[in-house]
Amino acid sequence: MTGEAIRSRLGGLWLSRADGWHQGIELLQVRAMAGEMRSGGARFAALTVRPTDGAFKLAWHFDAAGELLTLEARLPAGATVPSILDLWPGADWAEREARDYYALRFDGRADTPPLMLRDGDAPGVFLDSKEGALS
Amino acid sequence: MSYRIPIGPYHLALEEPYKIEVECEGETVTAVSLKVGFNFRGIEWLAERKNITQSTALMERVCGICSNVHSMNFCLALERIGGVEVPARAQHVRVVMAELERIHSHLLWAGVAAELTGFHSLFMACFHLREKVMDLLEGISGNRVNYAMNRIGGVNRDITQPQAVLEGVRAIREALLKSLIPTFTTDATVAARCVGVGTLTRDEALAYGAVGPVARASGVGQDLRRDASYLVYDQLEFDVPVGRNGDVFDRIVVRAKELLESCRIIEQALGRMPAGPLHAGDIYLVQAGEAAMRIEAPRGEAFYYVVSDGSDVPSRVKVRTPTFANIPTVVPMVKGAVLADVPLIQGSLDPCYSCTDR
Repeated sequence: MTGEAIRSRLGGLWLSRADGWHQGIELLQVRAMAGEMRSGGARFAALTVRPTDGAFKLAWHFDAAGELLTLEARLPAGATVPSILDLWPGADWAEREARDYYALRFDGRADTPPLMLRDGDAPGVFLDSKEGALS
Repeated sequence: MSYRIPIGPYHLALEEPYKIEVECEGETVTAVSLKVGFNFRGIEWLAERKNITQSTALMERVCGICSNVHSMNFCLALERIGGVEVPARAQHVRVVMAELERIHSHLLWAGVAAELTGFHSLFMACFHLREKVMDLLEGISGNRVNYAMNRIGGVNRDITQPQAVLEGVRAIREALLKSLIPTFTTDATVAARCVGVGTLTRDEALAYGAVGPVARASGVGQDLRRDASYLVYDQLEFDVPVGRNGDVFDRIVVRAKELLESCRIIEQALGRMPAGPLHAGDIYLVQAGEAAMRIEAPRGEAFYYVVSDGSDVPSRVKVRTPTFANIPTVVPMVKGAVLADVPLIQGSLDPCYSCTDR
């Protein structure tokens, strides 16, 4: 399915940018939309996390026949993220990495073991201040 | 009788550390778990604390094999944010560098694969030819690993002797056609070792998000140079080889054909490289904004997401390397495989743990 067909199927307000199409969504919508991406033949590409004003901005990126489709949601501080691991096995490492770097917690996974860190290391190594050292 | 075999993080075959734990029933693999992170350097974290000029050099250290694609991808992302127009000559130079790097990377992998199949003379032939590619890269850039060619808005160095590069590439293509590719694709030893081994179906490739030659060998016919084109790839003619069976052999064949396509691309780029400036001037910061940038690295899609707050230090640099996407496909590949095939199957991914861990 083409990117246009998937966008049409998903509906909502898509914003065209130089790097592809973006849609702001509610956090709880992500599983339904990721499922539609899967059935539409897209590919999960990456999960981008970035801290913003005490919360996080999450972006799930999918490729649909060369078109980049991005779903963006705001994660309030302390909230958990719905996992898409059962829909996209390829999202496993992306979620574990988000746990390592930003101490995000994912719902719907049996566990979220460290990926880059060792067992027992405290998650959230990227949360230090700009001046601080990498813990 | 079932048993578990931990392999790694230090391997006899692979030069980089990672761990794979294999559960077997007799000789048959029933489950596998992977452990990476032994090379974790926090490069994303570092990039958010250095200015964009320093980070361009830093990103080149993401990978010791395809170093050029990382600095290029970082620059392309910033150029997209800043609306920077890269001069045509610089775009052609970038294409030549990227394709030479792809050839050297594929040849390196081919040599390792030959060694893993027990074909030592083929290993030597691959590395002998790869050395000629390294000479070309060194001739252009002055360097053999971190080429330092990219800057925001263009390149640092010109290709001053395009004819010499052209002759070098033609000689490499001749050697590929004469001996290396026929050996890899028709030799009974290679076929016996690789056909039907480590199969990844098309559905599995999509579900796991496989990219590059691994995905293409499984029938996922995507190549960002064609399907989400950048630089001047949309003005060049090349084919995208795609496999059908998704086994180790198809990964070999896809990469072998890609070597020839890269030669073809370089010849065209050198032939049509216009005169003109090499960069768009000194650029030390770009306006506030954010952009994703994807390029077709030798191992597949390299994904960058860069956020600028308008200062000279990026506020977020996300790097997802192709091997990061590809390594998890080992899980479906080795299930049901014979234990002795596990190293070859791992090797067939052309894994790079340095860039996976960043």
